[in-house]
Amino acid sequence: MRSWKRAAGSLALMLMVSSAALAHVASNGFLVVQVHGQQLSGSIELAVRDVELAIGVDANRDGKVTWGELRAGEPQLMKYVAQHLSLGSQDSDCPVNFQALQVNERVDGNYAWLPFTALCPLAVRQLRIRYSLMDDIDPSHRGLLTLIDGAISQTGVLGGKGAPALFTLDAPSRARAFVDYLQAGIWHIWSGIDHLLFLFSLLLPAVLLRQRGRWEPVPRARPAFFSILKVVTAFTLAHSITLSLAALDVVRLPSRLTESVIAASIVVAALNNIFPLVTENRARIAFAFGLLHGFGFASVLADMGLPHTARLLSLLAFNLGIEAGQLAVVLAVMPVVYAFRSGAIYRRAVMPWGSAVIAALALVWLVQRAFLPTG
Amino acid sequence: MLALAPIGVAWPAPYLPASDAQVLAELPVGARHESAPARELTRSRLDIALPLAQFYVSRARASGDLRYLGYADALLQPWLRQAPVAPAVLVLEATILQSRHAFSAALVQLDLALQAQPDNAQAWLTRATVLRVQGRYTEAMAACVHLASQADAAITDLCRQSVAGLTGNLHAAYAAIAALPRQGLASEARAWRYSELGEMAERLGDDAAAEHWFNEGLQLAPEDFYMRAACADLLLRQARAAETLQLLTGYESMEPMLLRIVIARQLLGDSHGAQDRALLSGAFEVEQQRGEAVHRREQARFLLDIAQQPEEALSAAQDNWRVQREPDDVLILLRSAQAAHHPEAAAAALAFLQQQHLEDVRLEPYRRALR
Repeated sequence: MRSWKRAAGSLALMLMVSSAALAHVASNGFLVVQVHGQQLSGSIELAVRDVELAIGVDANRDGKVTWGELRAGEPQLMKYVAQHLSLGSQDSDCPVNFQALQVNERVDGNYAWLPFTALCPLAVRQLRIRYSLMDDIDPSHRGLLTLIDGAISQTGVLGGKGAPALFTLDAPSRARAFVDYLQAGIWHIWSGIDHLLFLFSLLLPAVLLRQRGRWEPVPRARPAFFSILKVVTAFTLAHSITLSLAALDVVRLPSRLTESVIAASIVVAALNNIFPLVTENRARIAFAFGLLHGFGFASVLADMGLPHTARLLSLLAFNLGIEAGQLAVVLAVMPVVYAFRSGAIYRRAVMPWGSAVIAALALVWLVQRAFLPTG
Repeated sequence: MLALAPIGVAWPAPYLPASDAQVLAELPVGARHESAPARELTRSRLDIALPLAQFYVSRARASGDLRYLGYADALLQPWLRQAPVAPAVLVLEATILQSRHAFSAALVQLDLALQAQPDNAQAWLTRATVLRVQGRYTEAMAACVHLASQADAAITDLCRQSVAGLTGNLHAAYAAIAALPRQGLASEARAWRYSELGEMAERLGDDAAAEHWFNEGLQLAPEDFYMRAACADLLLRQARAAETLQLLTGYESMEPMLLRIVIARQLLGDSHGAQDRALLSGAFEVEQQRGEAVHRREQARFLLDIAQQPEEALSAAQDNWRVQREPDDVLILLRSAQAAHHPEAAAAALAFLQQQHLEDVRLEPYRRALR
């Protein structure tokens, strides 16, 4: 999945670079704050043009701001932002630490992108933001806030004269959290093609029987149904166990390891269809590798975080979302597979060549995840 | 994670530029950091602050760059806090508010200016313009009448005839403005005359004359982007897409112009406009998030003609109608109401047309269909 994300990112960037037109919009700053208990992380972005107005970075006064000039102004920029942006939780301040400056390209030009972390004395329930960036230079400047707490995000507009803005985090009800995490689970399984490919590799032969070194169609629906049920249940049970253990911080595995082993599991399952070693108890393979897929799900959940108010409920919802998404795909695909099981095309082409394609794809992922530097 | 990013805020993909020499921004005129002493000077000397603010407002007009309005506003803010506020400061602040389509707030500033200085011609003229855009024609006419004693006759005539042309006297008003001598007029008033004549000719159904007036006007004032947009609309209405693109070359950075470029490309069957469409819809969404409505009319048109979402277009056109009521605002409302099959949504606009005797042949087909 990491490779998908990377591909999507570079595509978006290309579209922006090739766009000659820069829309003239009012001045906006973009503030992203992600809450993890008492930790905050996020970024603040100001247009390079606005940075020039605020602190003056065009050192050679040629009307152009280069990366070198902007970078030279980094300490000044951090100082300026620290003076005009502060975060607090309940009654206390959350001191902000900036990290290295980067550049982000937006539709109206380049922005200086400053990532930061902040530590609050207590878990954040109400976030207080004082935002006065640019206010004496361009009073129409506004900060557009995205506040993320687990799968729940809210937006806000900051700036203009007035008191600091307050954002309450535990406002979303448990029902809302449940629905949000359920959706996140479904979305994850549908977009996370590697989990589905693993499952398909195990299900493709579920409508066949291995007899005297050849694949034969199962005579009746009943055994096929139970074979599918066993595989799906074993996979579900296994990944639910490890997902819960990891999400609740009982066990932690490095994500590079789990992602690599997930890719390896697909290679193994797909190759087993071409050169069968295990033909009877595929449910055992499903269980063994399912444990590892659970760690994969957990790393997604860790990226999102669990809301402090409804940890177990949200975990359950995310897990149910994964199961629902998976079940929907199985219900849609298996009747088709069952209908075509007797044909020679299914046994001689779909099974071996489909499995070969899956194995090849997974092998690429395995190499990417295990040996290439992460992006 | 990408799907969890909220709509409207592009997920950042920050990077470290490979070279120190990479240019990140070209600074437009006047967008430079001012030293603290220079800024102090604009706080202590109105004769420095005011012309600079005026310069920024004129840059905003010419370039469509809304940031300039903010720079002008920043210069005026300290002076707006010092009672009594100079009328010239109030009038310029009103102009800024008007440019942001904050019409009610603009009128408040103008009233304050006129209380302090009842014969401030600029204040009466700006007041007439704001009221006319809001469709408050009786009050707009009254403001033009006040102007008569202070401004030159030609400006007063333009002011009055522009209102008369919207209230049942289009033929006579058109003739009166056409008869105004070109010579005595200042160049801004001459540009105004051409754009008034062009729009009136269009409303009368004489597209050839309208095109002639717009062309003359653009020769005189190439930076008048309201007139350029009006001329583009005339061409688009006649499906002259290639000429529209020619007219708007070099103006891609202005949202209203980009909108018309995308519509023209669509007419030509050019399907490569995905990034421009994304750019426009992103800009409209940010504007909406900020709670502003500078380009609500354009947004409605985007939704109707490009995104082809008539329901959403109608809702934007109705929001726009609450703020401004120029003929183009009526047009987009009627078109959206018809496309969305909600004739009842056009009732208020139709009543307004009837009541004011507003004449515009462009509106007729929709008027008949929605009655």
